[in-house]
Amino acid sequence: MGVLRISHVNIRVLDMEASLHHYINVVGMKKVHEDKQGNVYLKCWDEWDKYSLILTEADKAGINHIGYKVESDEDLDRFKKRISDYGIHVDDIERGALDSVGRALRFNIPSGHEMYLYAEKDYVGTDVGTVNPEPWPDGLVGAGVHWLDHALLMSEFDLENGVNKVEENTKFMVDVLDFYLVEQILVGPEGNQQLATWLSVSNTPHDIAFVGGPINGLHHIAFFMDSWDDVLKAADVMGKNKVKIDVTPQRHGVTRGYTIYFFDPSGNRCETFGGLGYLAQRDRPVTTWTEDQIGSGIFYHTGELNEAFTTVYT
Amino acid sequence: MTFKVLIENTDEVFGCSEGQHILSAMAKMGKKGIPSGCHGGGCGVCKVKINQGAFSSKKMSRAHVSADEEKAGYALACRIFPETDITLHVIGKLQKRF
Repeated sequence: MGVLRISHVNIRVLDMEASLHHYINVVGMKKVHEDKQGNVYLKCWDEWDKYSLILTEADKAGINHIGYKVESDEDLDRFKKRISDYGIHVDDIERGALDSVGRALRFNIPSGHEMYLYAEKDYVGTDVGTVNPEPWPDGLVGAGVHWLDHALLMSEFDLENGVNKVEENTKFMVDVLDFYLVEQILVGPEGNQQLATWLSVSNTPHDIAFVGGPINGLHHIAFFMDSWDDVLKAADVMGKNKVKIDVTPQRHGVTRGYTIYFFDPSGNRCETFGGLGYLAQRDRPVTTWTEDQIGSGIFYHTGELNEAFTTVYT
Repeated sequence: MTFKVLIENTDEVFGCSEGQHILSAMAKMGKKGIPSGCHGGGCGVCKVKINQGAFSSKKMSRAHVSADEEKAGYALACRIFPETDITLHVIGKLQKRF
């Protein structure tokens, strides 16, 4: 019962053709659908639902919404009441309003980011199927990522004026949607303000993350890869395709993941997130990073936060 | 063909080849006069005002450069492709962190 996983993100791109080259030939997704409005839908080879990324051409980059799949229609009834009781307006959207998706709940989390919950999305199957499957399909392109892993949303953070949407989002996700806190960065004079949080609803170290910044936005969307070797190869693919890399292969202290940060042609940051990190559990004690060790938390090897990490986003 | 780009704020000069955007040319030379971000016209940190020179440009985020600003010569350095020597002033900055 409850939320299963991240199901898709809808991001805005400035140039559809360049974006399709990026997500298909570099990231390794497949185009599965284009709707009448020109939105393009893509999926990764190891995903069974119809799509995990919607690209919308627009005059500015960033995120439109994020969707999470829940287990059943009864979950939607339950969450609808809980979200509403929390004081957040929630719309009950009819089947098909989101392409290939059943009945959905639409609402804004405390930072203002738009979120959807739904129990059904059209099933198309993975590229290896379910009967005697091969470990991976032939013909993988680019990085050949497995699935959309998580997203990090930049949330307004201004302690001097008493604004901390990271904390508000975190409380909402835990109290209302039954996510649990896995890691956090605490800052401020008392060392008790959440500047960043990583939350899970499954057993991956994060199904969503929030970091504080001057304005709301999208920090990155991340795709899963098996291993460090896959991450290195993905970086080679990016070099070959002249992709703007933000941070070359490196380990995160937080979540222990193997990472590359890179940008799509509209400036939306992507990540290839390698390895499980660790198996997150609801009773696993929360990991805390202190303000003086933020650099090691984010980029474990250099121990230094690059200036772009919290300032460059869409 | 290589064009000269002058950053007024820092007096830095670097070459930019035809077909290359200004930010990429600067970064490849190891210079740092213009803040370097996404290189895709989305994040806005490399905002500049072109004071002299001709150029072509690619689509840039309206969240950072309005249509009126674009007419007045404001642009994102990562979307600007020089067609003559260029003189520019840096407007963008990496914002206060927290």
